[in-house]
Amino acid sequence: MDNKKSQQDIDMSTRRDFFRRTAALGITALGTTSIMASEDGHDSILKPTKWGTTWGDPVTKNLYGVPSKYEHNVTRRYTKLLASGNFRASIAVTPIQESKGIITPNGLFFSRSHGGVAHIDPNEHMLMISGLVKKPLVLTMKELMRYPSVTRTHFIECPANGGQEWRGPQYNSLQFAKGFMSCAEWTGVYIKDIIKDLGVDPKAIWMLAEGGDSSKMGRSIPMEKVLDDAMIVWGQNGENLRPEQGYPIRLLVPGWEGNLCVKWLRRLDFATDPWYCKEETSKYTVLKPTGKAIQHFYANEVNSTVVSPSPEIDWSDLKDGDTVEIEGLAWSGMGTITGVDLSFDGGKNYVEAKLKGLVLPKCWTRWSYVHTYKKGEELLLTSRAMDDAGYIQPTIDQETLVVGVEAVYHRNAVETWKVEKDGKITHVEVRSQLEQKPNGELVIEGKA
Amino acid sequence: MKKSNKNLLISISVAAAISLGLSACMGESPKSAEKTSNETKKSELKKAIDGGVTYSVSNGKFGTYYVNEDAHSGKINFGRKPTKAEYKEWNSDVMANGEGLPEGEGSVEDGEEVYEAKCVMCHGDFGSGGGGYPSLAKGNAYELQKTLKNQRIKPDTDGPVRVFGTYWPMASTLWWYIKDAMPHPQTGSLSDDEVYALVAYILNINEFEIDGEEVDDEYVLNREKFLKIKMPNANGFEPNITGPDAPKNIRAYYSNPANFGAQKVKPAERCMHDCQEKTVKVVYIKNGGISDFHPPLSDKRDLPKEKKDNANFDAAKAYADNCAMCHESGAAPARGDKDGWSGILEKGLDNVYAAAIKGTQAGMPAKGGSSLSDNEFKTVVNYLVGKK
Repeated sequence: MDNKKSQQDIDMSTRRDFFRRTAALGITALGTTSIMASEDGHDSILKPTKWGTTWGDPVTKNLYGVPSKYEHNVTRRYTKLLASGNFRASIAVTPIQESKGIITPNGLFFSRSHGGVAHIDPNEHMLMISGLVKKPLVLTMKELMRYPSVTRTHFIECPANGGQEWRGPQYNSLQFAKGFMSCAEWTGVYIKDIIKDLGVDPKAIWMLAEGGDSSKMGRSIPMEKVLDDAMIVWGQNGENLRPEQGYPIRLLVPGWEGNLCVKWLRRLDFATDPWYCKEETSKYTVLKPTGKAIQHFYANEVNSTVVSPSPEIDWSDLKDGDTVEIEGLAWSGMGTITGVDLSFDGGKNYVEAKLKGLVLPKCWTRWSYVHTYKKGEELLLTSRAMDDAGYIQPTIDQETLVVGVEAVYHRNAVETWKVEKDGKITHVEVRSQLEQKPNGELVIEGKA
Repeated sequence: MKKSNKNLLISISVAAAISLGLSACMGESPKSAEKTSNETKKSELKKAIDGGVTYSVSNGKFGTYYVNEDAHSGKINFGRKPTKAEYKEWNSDVMANGEGLPEGEGSVEDGEEVYEAKCVMCHGDFGSGGGGYPSLAKGNAYELQKTLKNQRIKPDTDGPVRVFGTYWPMASTLWWYIKDAMPHPQTGSLSDDEVYALVAYILNINEFEIDGEEVDDEYVLNREKFLKIKMPNANGFEPNITGPDAPKNIRAYYSNPANFGAQKVKPAERCMHDCQEKTVKVVYIKNGGISDFHPPLSDKRDLPKEKKDNANFDAAKAYADNCAMCHESGAAPARGDKDGWSGILEKGLDNVYAAAIKGTQAGMPAKGGSSLSDNEFKTVVNYLVGKK
């Protein structure tokens, strides 16, 4: 509803601008730019601008701010191929190509739901803690938010990020190839701080987290993670959660599958056995060539991508000899990023890139490399990250030989952008052709 | 309650050394050791159940974050005990051993009837799926379970069949999921007997046997028989998550990168030159790839286009996108079905508009689940009922 309102505001101000310009400047056609360059210089500098000579909006307008109307293309996007026909069990993905720093704005944070985005009245919503505890508990939202708060910056990644590209590249787009993730500063409470005094039975080695939306999405989480860093969060980037992120509360399981971060959370239950929820059996399991599937595959493994350039924002406007920054993101759900390497030949040879800004556990980390561009050069840009748990991103061959091409989830092999002669960027993969032995095992075809 | 992890305090450098053999480096390595930018000392890292590391608070700090340790003593408590009725209402989960599964029964025949009324519009005839909705069956589950080794590594090869009968480890999941989360537009609306009937029908189309008896068209399922279901792929999953040793098994599984396709290496020994297999090729997007993006990709900083007004609204397209799924599948009166509509229209067009916009008990979701405006949706209703 708020979005609709702000869209109307944009529409109205666009219309007003149109009338103002056509009336005052007598421009005949929209779309022809009024800004001209001449020998004297550029009109943007030589001529007064509309915004430099007339009133802006009063502060009473947009009391909750909205982005500049010129930013309307910076938006989440969806594809029908990743949706139920009614777009309620679907995903809208983050424009990583436009990301700044390590924080995703709340309006751009990727949105995934299983029964649509619920709109919960926080005055009515309750959290129940039950099962193998001596003192089961019901908390109102007001009571929950009185617990001592913790603020941490973590990414959340859908483990199907890149999951359409196991058999080859599909998307010529960073937004769709890697946008099933976002990163935010979260505020909430450690679950361990709430349950310390509840008398949890030592036999309770599992916790169920269940949502209160129409899908009742649930997941089983081992107690060890619950007692480590699992949180119930209500704050995101300095404000309360958006409905798309589970308002008023969601679970945050740092570094682990986004699906475990149950939105619209209403119940935590403790038991001796896992629940075999639908989203930890039929889905979010990784089928290997052996015919066996990995279940309870928790952590999003070490990963990285080149963000600039991208297929969306390429180098076609660069001149020969321009020095540019190649920039990217690295992240690991298993620890903290320790380094990133960059390859210009698709992963054959690497050089070390530099990390920039804050380097935090289970958090997006920015990296950078300065390159002098030769007009007409063809490059294969591949980044490769490492974390303090000792992992390094695998090649596509290394990963697929073990988990095959039917895994859907947890694809973290290196990614490659090809810089074409004209500076445009094409998404490619550098990999070998595989063949399957009768026992299911995969081997590289033609390897002596 | 705090778990003792003393035996797990293996420093990460040891872990990295153990896994050295997994490095696939084929060439030379960097000369100097990699500098770590992580402020946490390596000795403070604990190995986690997921194969990664965890961090702890020391001297009032958690890595770069400051912590007021007084606030985390566990002495702060709010809330109240749930009543028995409250607990019972929300405690709807059904566990693999049958805990939480109520008594009840339903036949395949009744299940088919409920399915045709409430499920077929999304899940298709005989659970075939389509339109982004999951398939429920593809044929004989015991035969199709054998396809799980299939890998589509070459064009025109068949993939693995992953539906309820062939793939899911437990039957309890199906009962619980249908009861709590189906039918999708109106969850929690089925009786226990209806759920038994639907489960019986889904077992039937997967060609199941229970206790040696075929789940044929005459079959009647109840709690006792349900608990005897043996899933064909019950042993198809790793690591072992049953019993009190589950955490140990999970930890052991993820401590071996070879189990899940990961690579470990000492930073100083990672491959920097000649790191690819000789057999690699550059693979490009085939057949245009996926480019059905909404809104279309653009990095332009321009003014948004004006929204189309109602006169340009395409009711036929909106109908096809939002309504045809039910109205053209027999679940609701179709466009041009004069007999079907005459009775409904007797209530007056305004009432039809109101019902369509708000949704109905019969299962029509509000505005067909679309995000159209009221006026736009009225245009769609006009198109559907044949009013100009």
